[in-house]
Amino acid sequence: MSDKKSIFKNVRVIVFILAILASIVVIHPGYNSAEGATTNLNYGLDLEGGSWLQIKLQGALAQVDADPGMIVSQMVEPVIGAPIQVTDNNLEVDGVSSSDRSLTFTTSVPVSASQLELLDLGSVSVDRLNQETTQVTLTTSKESLIQAYLSKAFDAEVLPISTEDGIVYEIRTEATEEELSALMDKVGGTILKNEDGTSTYKEGVSTDTRDLTRDILNDKLNSLGLKDIPVRTVGEDYILIDFAGIDLATAKDIAEKPGKFEIRIQTTGNETQHVLYGDSIVSVGIPTFHDNQWHTPFTLKEDGARALQKVAIETGATDSPEDHYLNMYLDENKIYGAPLSYSAASRLKETPIYSWEASTGTDDAAKTEASMLQIHLRAGALPVNVVLVGSGHVDATLGSQFKTEAVIAGLISLIAVAAVVFRRYRRPEILVPMVGTSISEVIMILGVAAAIGWQLDLAAIAGIIAAIGTGIDHLVIITDEVLYEGKLPPTKVFVSRIGKAFAIIFGAAATTIIAMSPLVVMGFGSLKGFAITTIIGVFIGVVVARPVYGVVIKELLEAKGNGTSEGEGLAE
Amino acid sequence: MATGLTEFLDNFVKNHDNRQLLAIPLAVLAVSLVVLLVSFASSGSPVSLGMEFQGGTQISVETTDSPAMLEEMYSSYPLKDARQTGSRVSLQFGVMDNEEQRQLEEDVMGRYSNVEIKQIGPVYGQELQVQALQAIFISFIGMSIVVFLIFRNVIPSLAVVLSAFSDIIIAAAFMRVAGIALSLGTVAALLMLVGYSVDSDILLTNRLLKRRGTVEEKVSRAMQTGITMTTTTLAALVVMYVVSTFPYLIIPSFTQITLLSQISIVLIVGLVADIMNTWLLNTGILRWYVTKPEFRGRYNR
Repeated sequence: MSDKKSIFKNVRVIVFILAILASIVVIHPGYNSAEGATTNLNYGLDLEGGSWLQIKLQGALAQVDADPGMIVSQMVEPVIGAPIQVTDNNLEVDGVSSSDRSLTFTTSVPVSASQLELLDLGSVSVDRLNQETTQVTLTTSKESLIQAYLSKAFDAEVLPISTEDGIVYEIRTEATEEELSALMDKVGGTILKNEDGTSTYKEGVSTDTRDLTRDILNDKLNSLGLKDIPVRTVGEDYILIDFAGIDLATAKDIAEKPGKFEIRIQTTGNETQHVLYGDSIVSVGIPTFHDNQWHTPFTLKEDGARALQKVAIETGATDSPEDHYLNMYLDENKIYGAPLSYSAASRLKETPIYSWEASTGTDDAAKTEASMLQIHLRAGALPVNVVLVGSGHVDATLGSQFKTEAVIAGLISLIAVAAVVFRRYRRPEILVPMVGTSISEVIMILGVAAAIGWQLDLAAIAGIIAAIGTGIDHLVIITDEVLYEGKLPPTKVFVSRIGKAFAIIFGAAATTIIAMSPLVVMGFGSLKGFAITTIIGVFIGVVVARPVYGVVIKELLEAKGNGTSEGEGLAE
Repeated sequence: MATGLTEFLDNFVKNHDNRQLLAIPLAVLAVSLVVLLVSFASSGSPVSLGMEFQGGTQISVETTDSPAMLEEMYSSYPLKDARQTGSRVSLQFGVMDNEEQRQLEEDVMGRYSNVEIKQIGPVYGQELQVQALQAIFISFIGMSIVVFLIFRNVIPSLAVVLSAFSDIIIAAAFMRVAGIALSLGTVAALLMLVGYSVDSDILLTNRLLKRRGTVEEKVSRAMQTGITMTTTTLAALVVMYVVSTFPYLIIPSFTQITLLSQISIVLIVGLVADIMNTWLLNTGILRWYVTKPEFRGRYNR
């Protein structure tokens, strides 16, 4: 027989013991009279009670082309009520610097610049050439025109995104390919095709937009003092919000109610006066860096722009901007404050200003502030249209009942398995390590869950049971392989037998892991948790726990007199 | 149970030729395929789709009111079904608009305790449906690739894949016949079956191709191990099924855990099918393969 070295010197056994101890430390089971049994484990909503909402972001992405002149006609003619003639257009000429790009048209009726500025077509200059002719020059770009056109047509924000393949327009509301195609048709344009001939149209929004939406929701929930609400993105177009301990109706209220955004102006000293609320903001742009500063652009509605002009003049901010800071508040908390720029102040004396930029400074901190401001300015109004696609609610008492039931199911299952194993082998020295290995696998899976803060929900518990199920299978394979002749073989043969057993086990484990992996990648609903738990469990079992079972069972069988006694089911 | 079953199967395998062994599982597979095809032809889907894949709302409450009373009470909503399990009644609603949904939720929450609500929009349900099919398909292909990599031998690998395929088809046909709808839980069970069902096939193939001994001896040895594996798993699943489906028989206030109940019943059927497919179908094919004359007894000594 091999040297009677303690099995505690075996590396695998040491790793196993350390893993178990570490798991127990992270799980941190405890007891106090107030809460009863306590652990560090996080439970999912279906065990803890609470509600969840899943929302879909509506939008479309497409590359499109159009005739700039036709866009301008389409947009300007209804506003001025007369036809226009495009007289000059260098928007599609190569080698013109962006500041020189312009489109000029003439019309027979008088036109005011502010009338056209509202259309967001670019900067406008109007010349009255003679009694019959007004000439308008738009300094702009083709992208801006397409953006303005689509934005007006869909009554939603449209964002041009530069990609390697060209400009992709993100339409931040529901827009079908047919609708978009019909709209482009009106302005002599089309939805472009990819190189392989497929349409560039795609339903959904960009990842940036999805993340922005998630951040806004997060921000909003946090500003309501609900710190622990996880907002997760699921797949490309979905966002999942878990509200632990909050009922469904309240959850819907929280998610649907926008935050209260307000701009106030400093009057004298610390006194401030109301200027406008968040509903006066039409759109908020992406932070840009120019003139050595970070800026967050935003556009005001007619009433907002007029209100700001009126208050600025009344308080005297147009004369001494430095004494009259404009402050922004979200849910009563001040988030930004700055004076009017001198140029804006003097322009406000003449006319309301629609397009504003809030500058935050030059450094990285300013960049962060600018993007925070982008989120705050939206005041919980999400950048895209969202629809509720799924929701759920479990009462807390029901959740804890599920927990108890799951534990009972697990325990009785284990007893049933032990009974079957005992019937087969009729040896406690096989039964005890087998059941022990299974329990240790559960402890280690829970340990991993506690360590990574994984939420245990019913699906995850099913995953644990699945992993334990394959675990017992594998232990049976090891046992039968080791006792192939009905008794414990010499050490050399034993080692090769264990090798053979593990060849089978690794194959079986690999198929289970591969079979589950699509769920991890696609990750829809609660099944992702199920798949991840199963994979973690199978992995821990194969790498840490099951090899130790081989070592332990050898020791125990040797101690029992070289395992010569034959188990019933093993006899030839 | 395991020992008796092993003896029975062992004798059965020894006393029948390969053709006879294949006949039974192939017949069951054929019947199952017919069930799925008929269902597909008549309803457009091989299995009935649950709420999660069609869209709708599921509400379950603790109450002593009868399902008929609840049906009456919520008749103004698109109520499809009201069912009692223990001290709970669960209600199935069709798709509602946001307003209606909210009204219903508030009413239910105000009136009953221990409420569970689950709602899925129809569009998302559609998407889940596609994803679920994709997941099952991809996972089956992935499993097949792993099997081919393990054995690097076409016929034995095909036998394993065929028997796993048959497990899933039989389980799906059972779901159709027993009226178990495809839900996230049952999709999980079918996927788990993809992983589980090949365990005993891998064991059998490995023993038969890579071990010394007569074919007969190797089959019965593999069977002893394999049946033990499957019966332990079955034992655990039967307990899980009983506890999660009929907990109110023990403690009246306890609630069905639908997810665990669905997972376990589908797996139970799949694994029973697996016993047949591994020890008749796969064994039949493998026994024919390893005794082919060109191997000159390479696998039988």
